[in-house]
Amino acid sequence: MHAKHKRMKAVWAATCLTALAALAFAGSASAKLTGEFTRFEQCPYSNLEVRKCIYSPTEGGEVVLGNKKVPITSTAVLQGGFSKPNPETGVSTFFDAKNGITLSKAPQSVPGGLAGIVPDEKSPFLVKALIKFFFENSLTGVNSTLELAKSPSGIKISENALSEEIGIALEMPVKVHLENPFLGKSCYVGSSSSPVVFKLTTGITTPPAPNKSIQGYSGELNLLEEGSVLRLDKAVLVDNSWSAPAASGCGGILSFLVNPIINGQIGLPAAAGKNTAILKNTIYVGAAAAVRNNNAENP
Amino acid sequence: MLLAGILSALMLSAVFAAGAGAAPAWKFEGKALEGKETVVGAAIDSSLTIPGLTTKCENFLYKLTIENVSGTGKGSVTELPLYNCTTNTKNCTVESIAAEALPWAAQAKLVSSTNYIFIEGIKVGILYGGELCVLEGTLAKVTGTAGGRIDNTAETATFDAASFSATGAVLKALGSTIEWKGVFPTEAFEGHRLQALTVS
Repeated sequence: MHAKHKRMKAVWAATCLTALAALAFAGSASAKLTGEFTRFEQCPYSNLEVRKCIYSPTEGGEVVLGNKKVPITSTAVLQGGFSKPNPETGVSTFFDAKNGITLSKAPQSVPGGLAGIVPDEKSPFLVKALIKFFFENSLTGVNSTLELAKSPSGIKISENALSEEIGIALEMPVKVHLENPFLGKSCYVGSSSSPVVFKLTTGITTPPAPNKSIQGYSGELNLLEEGSVLRLDKAVLVDNSWSAPAASGCGGILSFLVNPIINGQIGLPAAAGKNTAILKNTIYVGAAAAVRNNNAENP
Repeated sequence: MLLAGILSALMLSAVFAAGAGAAPAWKFEGKALEGKETVVGAAIDSSLTIPGLTTKCENFLYKLTIENVSGTGKGSVTELPLYNCTTNTKNCTVESIAAEALPWAAQAKLVSSTNYIFIEGIKVGILYGGELCVLEGTLAKVTGTAGGRIDNTAETATFDAASFSATGAVLKALGSTIEWKGVFPTEAFEGHRLQALTVS
Protein backbone atom coordinates (compact mmCIF):
# COMPACT_ATOMS: atom_id res chain seq x y z
CA MET A 1 0.00 0.00 0.00
CA HIS A 2 2.78 2.32 1.08
CA ALA A 3 4.83 1.46 -2.01
CA LYS A 4 1.82 2.06 -4.20
CA HIS A 5 1.28 5.47 -2.57
CA LYS A 6 4.94 6.38 -3.14
CA ARG A 7 4.67 5.32 -6.80
CA MET A 8 1.51 7.44 -7.20
CA LYS A 9 3.35 10.43 -5.71
CA ALA A 10 6.24 9.92 -8.10
CA VAL A 11 3.86 9.72 -11.09
CA TRP A 12 2.06 12.83 -9.90
CA ALA A 13 5.36 14.73 -9.49
CA ALA A 14 6.49 13.68 -12.95
CA THR A 15 3.16 14.76 -14.41
CA CYS A 16 3.43 18.12 -12.70
CA LEU A 17 7.01 18.59 -13.95
CA THR A 18 5.98 17.69 -17.50
CA ALA A 19 3.10 20.15 -17.34
CA LEU A 20 5.39 22.87 -16.00
CA ALA A 21 7.94 22.17 -18.71
CA ALA A 22 5.22 22.30 -21.34
CA LEU A 23 4.03 25.61 -19.94
CA ALA A 24 7.57 26.95 -20.01
CA PHE A 25 7.99 25.91 -23.64
CA ALA A 26 4.63 27.32 -24.53
CA GLY A 27 5.76 30.55 -22.89
CA SER A 28 8.92 30.76 -24.95
CA ALA A 29 7.08 29.85 -28.15
CA SER A 30 4.56 32.61 -27.59
CA ALA A 31 7.19 35.25 -26.82
CA LYS A 32 5.98 38.58 -28.08
CA LEU A 33 8.08 41.09 -29.91
CA THR A 34 7.59 44.66 -28.76
CA GLY A 35 7.63 48.16 -30.21
CA GLU A 36 8.84 48.48 -33.78
CA PHE A 37 10.05 44.87 -33.67
CA THR A 38 6.48 43.52 -33.76
CA ARG A 39 6.42 43.83 -37.55
CA PHE A 40 9.16 41.22 -37.79
CA GLU A 41 7.15 38.45 -36.14
CA GLN A 42 7.28 36.35 -39.32
CA CYS A 43 10.98 37.00 -39.95
CA PRO A 44 13.02 33.79 -39.59
CA TYR A 45 15.39 35.63 -37.22
CA SER A 46 16.35 32.49 -35.30
CA ASN A 47 18.23 31.38 -38.42
CA LEU A 48 21.69 32.87 -37.88
CA GLU A 49 22.20 33.29 -41.62
CA VAL A 50 19.46 35.91 -41.54
CA ARG A 51 21.10 39.29 -40.88
CA LYS A 52 18.16 41.56 -41.54
CA CYS A 53 14.39 41.29 -41.35
CA ILE A 54 12.09 43.03 -43.79
CA TYR A 55 8.44 44.01 -43.67
CA SER A 56 7.30 45.98 -46.67
CA PRO A 57 3.65 46.80 -47.33
CA THR A 58 2.87 47.97 -50.87
CA GLU A 59 0.12 50.49 -50.28
CA GLY A 60 -0.35 51.98 -53.72
CA GLY A 61 0.90 52.27 -57.26
CA GLU A 62 -0.11 50.38 -60.36
CA VAL A 63 0.74 47.46 -62.60
CA VAL A 64 0.36 47.94 -66.33
CA LEU A 65 0.18 44.57 -68.06
CA GLY A 66 0.11 45.00 -71.82
CA ASN A 67 -2.69 47.47 -72.33
CA LYS A 68 -4.43 46.83 -69.01
CA LYS A 69 -3.70 49.15 -66.10
CA VAL A 70 -4.53 47.85 -62.64
CA PRO A 71 -4.26 50.33 -59.76
CA ILE A 72 -3.05 48.93 -56.45
CA THR A 73 -5.77 49.61 -53.90
CA SER A 74 -5.38 46.63 -51.60
CA THR A 75 -2.19 46.34 -49.50
CA ALA A 76 0.17 43.45 -50.23
CA VAL A 77 3.01 42.70 -47.81
CA LEU A 78 6.45 41.32 -48.61
CA GLN A 79 8.10 39.93 -45.49
CA GLY A 80 10.91 37.64 -44.47
CA GLY A 81 14.61 37.93 -43.88
CA PHE A 82 17.77 38.35 -45.88
CA SER A 83 21.42 37.47 -45.58
CA LYS A 84 24.59 39.52 -45.45
CA PRO A 85 25.19 40.80 -48.99
CA ASN A 86 27.51 38.96 -51.31
CA PRO A 87 30.70 41.09 -51.19
CA GLU A 88 31.04 41.02 -54.98
CA THR A 89 27.46 41.53 -56.13
CA GLY A 90 26.05 43.36 -53.11
CA VAL A 91 23.00 41.11 -53.39
CA SER A 92 21.50 39.34 -50.38
CA THR A 93 19.73 35.98 -50.31
CA PHE A 94 16.09 36.10 -49.26
CA PHE A 95 14.56 33.84 -46.61
CA ASP A 96 10.92 32.80 -46.50
CA ALA A 97 8.55 34.26 -43.89
CA LYS A 98 8.00 31.87 -40.95
CA ASN A 99 4.31 31.45 -41.77
CA GLY A 100 5.10 30.85 -45.44
CA ILE A 101 3.31 34.03 -46.51
CA THR A 102 6.29 35.85 -47.92
CA LEU A 103 4.14 37.83 -50.35
CA SER A 104 0.60 38.20 -49.11
CA LYS A 105 -2.19 37.78 -51.62
CA ALA A 106 -3.95 41.09 -52.16
CA PRO A 107 -6.53 40.89 -54.95
CA GLN A 108 -6.73 44.10 -56.98
CA SER A 109 -9.85 44.91 -58.93
CA VAL A 110 -9.32 44.91 -62.72
CA PRO A 111 -11.01 47.96 -64.25
CA GLY A 112 -13.70 46.92 -66.74
CA GLY A 113 -14.13 43.52 -65.11
CA LEU A 114 -14.86 40.46 -67.19
CA ALA A 115 -16.17 42.49 -70.13
CA GLY A 116 -12.83 44.26 -70.20
CA ILE A 117 -10.84 41.09 -70.74
CA VAL A 118 -13.38 38.77 -72.42
CA PRO A 119 -15.50 41.06 -74.59
CA ASP A 120 -18.79 39.54 -75.70
CA GLU A 121 -18.59 40.73 -79.31
CA LYS A 122 -15.21 39.06 -79.92
CA SER A 123 -16.06 35.72 -78.33
CA PRO A 124 -16.98 32.47 -80.11
CA PHE A 125 -20.54 31.17 -79.66
CA LEU A 126 -19.65 28.69 -76.92
CA VAL A 127 -17.83 31.30 -74.84
CA LYS A 128 -20.57 33.85 -75.52
CA ALA A 129 -23.22 31.45 -74.27
CA LEU A 130 -21.29 30.63 -71.12
CA ILE A 131 -20.31 34.19 -70.36
CA LYS A 132 -23.97 35.24 -70.63
CA PHE A 133 -24.62 33.24 -67.46
CA PHE A 134 -21.94 35.12 -65.54
CA PHE A 135 -23.19 38.51 -66.70
CA GLU A 136 -26.78 37.58 -65.84
CA ASN A 137 -25.63 36.60 -62.34
CA SER A 138 -23.46 39.68 -61.87
CA LEU A 139 -20.30 37.59 -61.63
CA THR A 140 -18.41 40.07 -63.72
CA GLY A 141 -15.77 41.36 -61.35
CA VAL A 142 -12.20 40.27 -62.05
CA ASN A 143 -9.38 40.44 -59.56
CA SER A 144 -5.71 40.30 -60.31
CA THR A 145 -3.34 39.08 -57.62
CA LEU A 146 0.44 39.14 -57.69
CA GLU A 147 1.87 35.87 -56.42
CA LEU A 148 5.43 34.64 -56.11
CA ALA A 149 6.20 32.40 -59.08
CA LYS A 150 9.12 30.65 -57.41
CA SER A 151 10.33 29.92 -53.90
CA PRO A 152 11.25 33.03 -51.90
CA SER A 153 14.93 32.20 -52.37
CA GLY A 154 14.36 33.46 -55.92
CA ILE A 155 13.97 36.98 -54.50
CA LYS A 156 17.11 39.10 -54.60
CA ILE A 157 17.58 42.23 -52.55
CA SER A 158 20.30 44.87 -52.58
CA GLU A 159 20.23 47.30 -49.67
CA ASN A 160 22.82 49.57 -51.26
CA ALA A 161 20.87 49.81 -54.52
CA LEU A 162 17.75 50.54 -52.49
CA SER A 163 19.30 53.42 -50.56
CA GLU A 164 21.57 54.80 -53.27
CA GLU A 165 18.84 54.79 -55.93
CA ILE A 166 21.11 53.01 -58.40
CA GLY A 167 20.62 49.54 -59.87
CA ILE A 168 18.21 46.75 -58.96
CA ALA A 169 17.00 47.02 -55.38
CA LEU A 170 14.54 44.11 -55.47
CA GLU A 171 14.24 41.30 -58.01
CA MET A 172 11.11 39.24 -57.67
CA PRO A 173 9.76 36.43 -59.90
CA VAL A 174 5.98 36.76 -59.93
CA LYS A 175 2.88 35.59 -61.74
CA VAL A 176 -0.42 37.40 -62.10
CA HIS A 177 -3.47 35.42 -61.03
CA LEU A 178 -6.64 36.55 -62.84
CA GLU A 179 -9.64 35.54 -60.77
CA ASN A 180 -13.29 35.20 -61.72
CA PRO A 181 -15.59 32.14 -61.62
CA PHE A 182 -15.67 32.10 -65.42
CA LEU A 183 -11.88 32.19 -65.68
CA GLY A 184 -11.49 29.26 -63.29
CA LYS A 185 -8.83 28.79 -60.63
CA SER A 186 -5.81 28.52 -62.87
CA CYS A 187 -5.85 31.62 -65.02
CA TYR A 188 -2.34 33.03 -64.82
CA VAL A 189 0.01 35.34 -66.64
CA GLY A 190 3.41 33.89 -65.84
CA SER A 191 4.35 30.62 -64.19
CA SER A 192 7.18 29.11 -62.20
CA SER A 193 8.85 28.05 -65.45
CA SER A 194 8.13 31.33 -67.23
CA PRO A 195 7.74 34.00 -64.55
CA VAL A 196 7.27 37.71 -64.87
CA VAL A 197 10.48 39.06 -63.36
CA PHE A 198 10.25 42.45 -61.69
CA LYS A 199 13.67 44.11 -61.43
CA LEU A 200 12.65 47.01 -59.27
CA THR A 201 14.75 50.10 -58.69
CA THR A 202 14.43 53.20 -56.57
CA GLY A 203 16.41 55.03 -59.26
CA ILE A 204 15.70 55.83 -62.90
CA THR A 205 14.65 53.13 -65.35
CA THR A 206 15.93 52.80 -68.91
CA PRO A 207 13.18 50.81 -70.63
CA PRO A 208 12.91 49.89 -74.28
CA ALA A 209 10.36 51.90 -76.32
CA PRO A 210 7.50 52.67 -76.20
CA ASN A 211 7.94 53.05 -72.42
CA LYS A 212 9.90 56.02 -71.18
CA SER A 213 12.16 56.43 -68.16
CA ILE A 214 10.42 56.65 -64.83
CA GLN A 215 11.89 57.56 -61.49
CA GLY A 216 11.66 55.63 -58.25
CA TYR A 217 12.46 56.94 -54.80
CA SER A 218 14.33 55.38 -51.90
CA GLY A 219 12.04 57.05 -49.40
CA GLU A 220 12.49 59.17 -46.31
CA LEU A 221 14.81 57.40 -43.90
CA ASN A 222 14.11 57.19 -40.19
CA LEU A 223 16.04 55.14 -37.67
CA LEU A 224 14.12 53.65 -34.79
CA GLU A 225 14.75 51.48 -31.72
CA GLU A 226 18.23 52.88 -31.02
CA GLY A 227 19.33 52.30 -34.60
CA SER A 228 18.10 48.68 -34.83
CA VAL A 229 15.19 49.37 -37.17
CA LEU A 230 14.90 51.63 -40.17
CA ARG A 231 11.77 52.84 -41.85
CA LEU A 232 11.65 54.20 -45.38
CA ASP A 233 8.52 56.25 -45.90
CA LYS A 234 7.07 56.89 -49.35
CA ALA A 235 9.54 54.57 -51.10
CA VAL A 236 8.68 53.96 -54.75
CA LEU A 237 10.02 50.87 -56.52
CA VAL A 238 9.68 50.90 -60.27
CA ASP A 239 10.35 48.69 -63.27
CA ASN A 240 9.02 49.24 -66.77
CA SER A 241 11.40 46.95 -68.64
CA TRP A 242 9.81 43.57 -67.90
CA SER A 243 8.12 41.30 -70.40
CA ALA A 244 5.00 39.23 -69.81
CA PRO A 245 4.15 35.84 -71.32
CA ALA A 246 0.74 34.86 -72.65
CA ALA A 247 -2.08 33.99 -70.24
CA SER A 248 -2.73 30.31 -69.65
CA GLY A 249 -5.27 28.12 -67.91
CA CYS A 250 -8.11 30.63 -68.30
CA GLY A 251 -11.68 29.37 -68.72
CA GLY A 252 -11.17 25.83 -67.46
CA ILE A 253 -11.99 23.30 -70.17
CA LEU A 254 -12.59 26.18 -72.57
CA SER A 255 -9.09 27.52 -72.07
CA PHE A 256 -8.21 26.73 -75.68
CA LEU A 257 -10.90 29.29 -76.61
CA VAL A 258 -10.61 31.75 -73.71
CA ASN A 259 -6.80 32.11 -73.53
CA PRO A 260 -6.55 33.60 -77.04
CA ILE A 261 -9.37 36.07 -76.31
CA ILE A 262 -7.70 37.29 -73.12
CA ASN A 263 -4.30 37.45 -74.78
CA GLY A 264 -5.77 39.46 -77.65
CA GLN A 265 -7.64 41.80 -75.35
CA ILE A 266 -4.77 42.48 -72.91
CA GLY A 267 -2.07 42.37 -75.56
CA LEU A 268 -0.19 39.30 -74.38
CA PRO A 269 2.49 38.23 -74.66
CA ALA A 270 3.69 41.77 -74.00
CA ALA A 271 7.28 42.55 -74.90
CA ALA A 272 9.57 44.54 -72.62
CA GLY A 273 8.71 48.21 -72.89
CA LYS A 274 4.96 47.68 -72.78
CA ASN A 275 4.57 46.83 -69.12
CA THR A 276 5.07 48.83 -65.94
CA ALA A 277 5.17 48.19 -62.21
CA ILE A 278 5.06 51.10 -59.78
CA LEU A 279 4.99 49.94 -56.17
CA LYS A 280 4.54 52.54 -53.43
CA ASN A 281 5.86 51.14 -50.18
CA THR A 282 6.73 51.76 -46.60
CA ILE A 283 9.79 49.62 -45.97
CA TYR A 284 10.83 48.43 -42.52
CA VAL A 285 14.20 46.72 -42.06
CA GLY A 286 15.45 45.43 -38.74
CA ALA A 287 18.75 43.95 -37.56
CA ALA A 288 17.95 40.25 -37.01
CA ALA A 289 20.20 40.12 -33.94
CA ALA A 290 18.21 42.95 -32.38
CA VAL A 291 14.94 41.15 -33.15
CA ARG A 292 16.37 38.01 -31.50
CA ASN A 293 17.34 40.08 -28.45
CA ASN A 294 13.92 41.66 -28.27
CA ASN A 295 12.35 38.21 -28.42
CA ALA A 296 14.61 36.91 -25.65
CA GLU A 297 13.91 39.95 -23.48
CA ASN A 298 10.14 39.41 -23.69
CA PRO A 299 9.45 35.77 -22.89
CA MET B 1 12.53 117.05 -63.88
CA LEU B 2 12.03 113.93 -65.97
CA LEU B 3 15.79 113.55 -66.38
CA ALA B 4 16.30 113.83 -62.62
CA GLY B 5 13.71 111.11 -62.10
CA ILE B 6 15.37 108.79 -64.61
CA LEU B 7 18.77 109.40 -63.02
CA SER B 8 17.39 108.67 -59.55
CA ALA B 9 15.83 105.47 -60.81
CA LEU B 10 19.06 104.43 -62.47
CA MET B 11 21.04 105.15 -59.29
CA LEU B 12 18.56 103.20 -57.19
CA SER B 13 18.68 100.22 -59.52
CA ALA B 14 22.48 100.36 -59.45
CA VAL B 15 22.46 100.29 -55.64
CA PHE B 16 20.09 97.30 -55.59
CA ALA B 17 22.13 95.52 -58.22
CA ALA B 18 25.27 96.01 -56.14
CA GLY B 19 23.47 94.77 -53.01
CA ALA B 20 22.18 91.64 -54.70
CA GLY B 21 25.20 90.72 -56.72
CA ALA B 22 28.15 92.06 -54.74
CA ALA B 23 30.43 89.12 -54.16
CA PRO B 24 32.03 89.18 -50.73
CA ALA B 25 35.80 88.95 -50.40
CA TRP B 26 38.13 87.59 -47.72
CA LYS B 27 39.63 90.40 -45.66
CA PHE B 28 42.29 90.56 -42.93
CA GLU B 29 42.14 93.52 -40.59
CA GLY B 30 39.68 95.06 -43.05
CA LYS B 31 41.97 94.76 -46.09
CA ALA B 32 41.22 92.41 -48.97
CA LEU B 33 43.41 89.33 -48.98
CA GLU B 34 46.05 89.33 -51.68
CA GLY B 35 47.49 85.99 -52.68
CA LYS B 36 46.58 82.86 -50.77
CA GLU B 37 46.15 82.05 -47.12
CA THR B 38 45.47 78.87 -45.21
CA VAL B 39 42.73 78.73 -42.63
CA VAL B 40 42.60 75.86 -40.19
CA GLY B 41 40.44 74.99 -37.25
CA ALA B 42 38.53 72.42 -35.31
CA ALA B 43 34.78 72.38 -35.02
CA ILE B 44 33.56 73.74 -31.70
CA ASP B 45 30.58 71.47 -32.10
CA SER B 46 29.58 69.46 -35.15
CA SER B 47 27.15 66.67 -35.95
CA LEU B 48 25.53 64.94 -38.91
CA THR B 49 21.97 63.79 -38.41
CA ILE B 50 19.90 61.26 -40.31
CA PRO B 51 16.47 61.26 -38.60
CA GLY B 52 17.01 58.98 -35.60
CA LEU B 53 20.80 58.80 -35.82
CA THR B 54 23.24 61.59 -35.02
CA THR B 55 26.95 61.12 -35.70
CA LYS B 56 29.45 63.27 -33.83
CA CYS B 57 33.24 63.41 -33.94
CA GLU B 58 35.46 64.57 -31.08
CA ASN B 59 38.02 65.75 -33.60
CA PHE B 60 36.44 67.48 -36.57
CA LEU B 61 39.30 69.42 -38.12
CA TYR B 62 39.53 71.26 -41.40
CA LYS B 63 42.05 73.01 -43.62
CA LEU B 64 40.82 75.62 -46.08
CA THR B 65 42.92 77.47 -48.63
CA ILE B 66 41.46 80.88 -49.47
CA GLU B 67 42.08 83.61 -52.05
CA ASN B 68 40.18 86.42 -53.74
CA VAL B 69 39.55 85.85 -57.42
CA SER B 70 38.30 88.96 -59.26
CA GLY B 71 37.17 90.38 -55.93
CA THR B 72 35.26 87.28 -54.86
CA GLY B 73 36.30 85.11 -51.96
CA LYS B 74 37.09 81.62 -53.20
CA GLY B 75 38.72 78.65 -51.61
CA SER B 76 39.03 74.93 -51.32
CA VAL B 77 38.75 72.52 -48.43
CA THR B 78 41.89 70.45 -48.73
CA GLU B 79 41.81 68.39 -45.53
CA LEU B 80 39.07 67.21 -43.20
CA PRO B 81 40.39 64.65 -40.74
CA LEU B 82 37.68 63.14 -38.56
CA TYR B 83 38.47 61.12 -35.46
CA ASN B 84 36.76 59.53 -32.47
CA CYS B 85 33.30 59.48 -33.97
CA THR B 86 30.26 58.04 -32.26
CA THR B 87 26.49 57.96 -32.68
CA ASN B 88 23.76 58.89 -30.24
CA THR B 89 22.33 55.36 -30.34
CA LYS B 90 23.42 52.49 -28.14
CA ASN B 91 23.47 50.04 -31.05
CA CYS B 92 25.34 51.82 -33.85
CA THR B 93 29.06 52.50 -33.89
CA VAL B 94 31.17 54.34 -36.44
CA GLU B 95 33.65 51.85 -37.88
CA SER B 96 35.25 54.37 -40.19
CA ILE B 97 34.65 57.87 -41.46
CA ALA B 98 36.61 59.78 -44.07
CA ALA B 99 36.30 62.78 -46.33
CA GLU B 100 36.63 61.74 -49.97
CA ALA B 101 37.30 63.45 -53.30
CA LEU B 102 39.11 66.39 -51.72
CA PRO B 103 39.61 69.27 -52.44
CA TRP B 104 36.09 70.65 -52.24
CA ALA B 105 35.47 74.03 -53.86
CA ALA B 106 34.33 76.84 -51.56
CA GLN B 107 33.06 80.33 -52.23
CA ALA B 108 31.98 83.33 -50.16
CA LYS B 109 28.38 84.27 -50.88
CA LEU B 110 26.15 87.18 -49.96
CA VAL B 111 22.51 86.22 -49.40
CA SER B 112 20.05 88.82 -48.09
CA SER B 113 22.85 90.93 -46.58
CA THR B 114 24.36 87.95 -44.74
CA ASN B 115 27.68 86.43 -45.75
CA TYR B 116 28.01 82.69 -46.17
CA ILE B 117 30.62 80.19 -47.16
CA PHE B 118 29.27 77.74 -49.71
CA ILE B 119 31.05 74.40 -50.17
CA GLU B 120 30.45 72.12 -53.15
CA GLY B 121 31.37 68.54 -53.99
CA ILE B 122 31.21 67.29 -50.41
CA LYS B 123 31.73 63.57 -50.06
CA VAL B 124 32.13 61.79 -46.73
CA GLY B 125 31.93 58.02 -46.35
CA ILE B 126 30.66 56.67 -43.02
CA LEU B 127 30.72 52.95 -42.32
CA TYR B 128 28.45 52.04 -39.43
CA GLY B 129 28.88 48.94 -37.32
CA GLY B 130 27.30 47.01 -34.47
CA GLU B 131 25.51 43.67 -34.70
CA LEU B 132 22.33 45.25 -33.36
CA CYS B 133 22.56 48.20 -35.75
CA VAL B 134 20.42 47.97 -38.86
CA LEU B 135 23.05 49.98 -40.76
CA GLU B 136 25.82 47.50 -39.89
CA GLY B 137 28.09 47.17 -42.89
CA THR B 138 26.30 49.96 -44.74
CA LEU B 139 28.52 52.64 -46.20
CA ALA B 140 26.59 55.88 -45.92
CA LYS B 141 27.90 58.29 -48.53
CA VAL B 142 27.23 61.85 -47.48
CA THR B 143 27.25 63.96 -50.65
CA GLY B 144 26.15 67.41 -51.74
CA THR B 145 26.71 71.02 -50.76
CA ALA B 146 26.89 72.95 -47.50
CA GLY B 147 26.33 76.59 -46.63
CA GLY B 148 27.68 78.17 -43.44
CA ARG B 149 26.84 81.61 -42.04
CA ILE B 150 29.90 83.80 -41.46
CA ASP B 151 30.04 85.77 -38.23
CA ASN B 152 32.71 88.44 -38.65
CA THR B 153 32.65 89.37 -34.96
CA ALA B 154 33.04 85.86 -33.59
CA GLU B 155 35.20 84.80 -36.58
CA THR B 156 33.22 81.65 -37.07
CA ALA B 157 31.23 79.88 -39.75
CA THR B 158 28.02 78.26 -38.51
CA PHE B 159 26.37 75.45 -40.44
CA ASP B 160 22.75 74.68 -39.58
CA ALA B 161 19.32 74.23 -41.15
CA ALA B 162 18.88 78.01 -41.58
CA SER B 163 22.25 78.47 -43.32
CA PHE B 164 21.53 75.49 -45.60
CA SER B 165 18.12 76.89 -46.47
CA ALA B 166 19.50 80.40 -47.17
CA THR B 167 22.20 79.12 -49.50
CA GLY B 168 20.15 76.35 -51.11
CA ALA B 169 22.64 73.76 -49.87
CA VAL B 170 21.60 70.10 -49.60
CA LEU B 171 23.46 67.16 -48.09
CA LYS B 172 22.18 63.65 -48.70
CA ALA B 173 23.00 60.22 -47.34
CA LEU B 174 21.26 56.88 -47.87
CA GLY B 175 18.82 58.62 -50.20
CA SER B 176 17.66 61.09 -47.56
CA THR B 177 18.42 64.68 -46.76
CA ILE B 178 20.56 64.98 -43.68
CA GLU B 179 21.30 67.83 -41.33
CA TRP B 180 24.78 69.11 -40.61
CA LYS B 181 25.22 71.33 -37.60
CA GLY B 182 28.56 72.84 -36.78
CA VAL B 183 30.41 75.93 -35.63
CA PHE B 184 33.87 76.37 -37.11
CA PRO B 185 36.34 79.05 -36.02
CA THR B 186 38.12 80.76 -38.93
CA GLU B 187 41.74 81.36 -38.09
CA ALA B 188 44.57 82.11 -40.50
CA PHE B 189 47.58 79.86 -40.17
CA GLU B 190 50.21 81.46 -42.44
CA GLY B 191 51.02 85.12 -43.28
CA HIS B 192 47.94 86.53 -41.57
CA ARG B 193 48.22 84.62 -38.33
CA LEU B 194 46.43 86.29 -35.41
CA GLN B 195 44.79 88.80 -37.77
CA ALA B 196 41.02 89.11 -37.77
CA LEU B 197 39.49 87.36 -40.78
CA THR B 198 36.27 88.85 -42.05
CA VAL B 199 34.13 88.43 -45.13
CA SER B 200 32.48 91.46 -46.72
